[in-house]
Amino acid sequence: MFRHTPLRYAVLAILAIAALMQAFTAGYFGLEILIEILILCLLVLALDLVAGFGGMVSLCHGALMGVGAYAFVALNALAGLDPWLAALGAVAITAAVAWVIGAVCARSHGIYFIMATLAFGQMGYSYVFSAPLFGGDDGIGGIDRFDLTALGIDLSDSRTFALFCLAVLAAAYLFTVAILRSGLGRSLAGVMHNEKRMKALGLITWRVKADVFGLSGVIAGVAGVLAAQHIQFISPGLMNWTVSGEALVVVILGGLGTLVGPLVGAAAFVVMKHQLGEITTYWHLIVGVILIAVVMSRANGIFGWVEARWGARIERRLSDATRASTPKEVSTDA
Amino acid sequence: MLETRSLTKSFGAVHVTRAVSLKLERGERRVILGPNGAGKTTLFNLLVGELTPDSGSVHLAGEDVTALTVPRRARRGLSRSYQKNTLFDGLTVEENLALAAAVNTGHATRLWSDSLSRPEIRETLAEVAHQVNLMPYLHARVSEISYGVRRQLEVGVALATRPLVLLMDEPTSGVGPEMSKGFHELLNNLPRDLTLLIIEHDMDLAFDVADTITVLNYGEVVFDGLPDAARGSKLLKDIYLGSWEDA
Repeated sequence: MFRHTPLRYAVLAILAIAALMQAFTAGYFGLEILIEILILCLLVLALDLVAGFGGMVSLCHGALMGVGAYAFVALNALAGLDPWLAALGAVAITAAVAWVIGAVCARSHGIYFIMATLAFGQMGYSYVFSAPLFGGDDGIGGIDRFDLTALGIDLSDSRTFALFCLAVLAAAYLFTVAILRSGLGRSLAGVMHNEKRMKALGLITWRVKADVFGLSGVIAGVAGVLAAQHIQFISPGLMNWTVSGEALVVVILGGLGTLVGPLVGAAAFVVMKHQLGEITTYWHLIVGVILIAVVMSRANGIFGWVEARWGARIERRLSDATRASTPKEVSTDA
Repeated sequence: MLETRSLTKSFGAVHVTRAVSLKLERGERRVILGPNGAGKTTLFNLLVGELTPDSGSVHLAGEDVTALTVPRRARRGLSRSYQKNTLFDGLTVEENLALAAAVNTGHATRLWSDSLSRPEIRETLAEVAHQVNLMPYLHARVSEISYGVRRQLEVGVALATRPLVLLMDEPTSGVGPEMSKGFHELLNNLPRDLTLLIIEHDMDLAFDVADTITVLNYGEVVFDGLPDAARGSKLLKDIYLGSWEDA
């Protein structure tokens, strides 16, 4: 069951402050990197919800983000709908697609679940790769960003768009926490710990998995809409399995099933990609070595390691401080 | 309340359940006895739907539930505890009980409310925790409590669904004599309108709790009657001493 610890609050605050500082001080390229991190954060949040809290390790979340992006393009650039309506439609379509994938794959486990989701993802990739409607392998452009000029907000400005993405990420984080703390989220935890017993208690477990997969699709769909608006151009590469693979690497690197960890992982991954990419084109090799070290260390990712090392100590100190500040009972005996 | 009619199951050439017909009235407490391999747990698996019978039927409160899945039978009031603890190890005792209570009250799939904070769930889990003596352990994780307390929780989780019929597969399996005595009290204090079907090897507990006793051997019912009759049964003694031969 998901719990916010003082350490998790502290890391969230640090991440939020760092993102705000970057948003207000960075130049164009710094802002582009920030937006890339924020969109990846949305994707890994969606993936951590199903993989970290439901045991459903998905290799189709990149494709789900792609469904969100392509659906947005179809409704906005092709059908001419207002970007807000198009975004709403795109998120609904992604959630529906995710629900169906979740419902079909829910009866499989482990490697079979991973392979089934991979197959779904690659079906989507193959379709857009050869669909003339979406520009085939050339991709498609002409995508509008949201229009908030009525509120005096210009989202064509990178700084403003980065702040907008940050606000969306904060809302998505709260949405994910709300899911995990709901009856549905608790049942998901039950299914992950012991699906057989949940069935014996009367729960239709495939339905719980499908519902949470659908909700995860909502977040992936939002990531897709923002990804489409970010570069205002999309190509089939967005739906390739390597995007899902990278998202999974980020979740494991950050800390599976912690929500906060994958955000740390996303920031670390994108920064490493750009910093190491300046030194060598083989930056993937270095990231691979780091991932192997993280996995072999048996810590639950970077954040899991920090939590295991300092989390208990911080909580103990805080509870000691709370006890010390509580007024002691004064004896009134004569 | 619970009835089986000629329930039969084979795995290849091995007949594990042979035309078993049982009828439990509401509030009846029946203990199933039998040596290892007699087909007791298989019978439970057939009753809850984890196994499909080759022939025969299962009826719950007058309804034929043979074709229903495990969750659907559970929702109609058939709950079970397992011989080996089948709990949610990473969660607290309170969360384990709440999961079961939430399924029964329909809160298990709600998105906008926390099942653990619902008054009806809290009421159920407090009542069940009191019934199975888990009040001191509510906030402890399953991994932090002793084996005996886990056995209590195993029964508690099954009870928290508010079943009509509770099937208990060796509730005292692996616990010491002191804790076993505690289980006598625990089972005797359960609501009288709850129908109980218990697999048990502990004879003292069986005779203390049971209204009726059924003995299975090689998958078939070889005795069905009152505890006093079972106590004096030569057949039962022979089965447990190992000298009984297929009649």
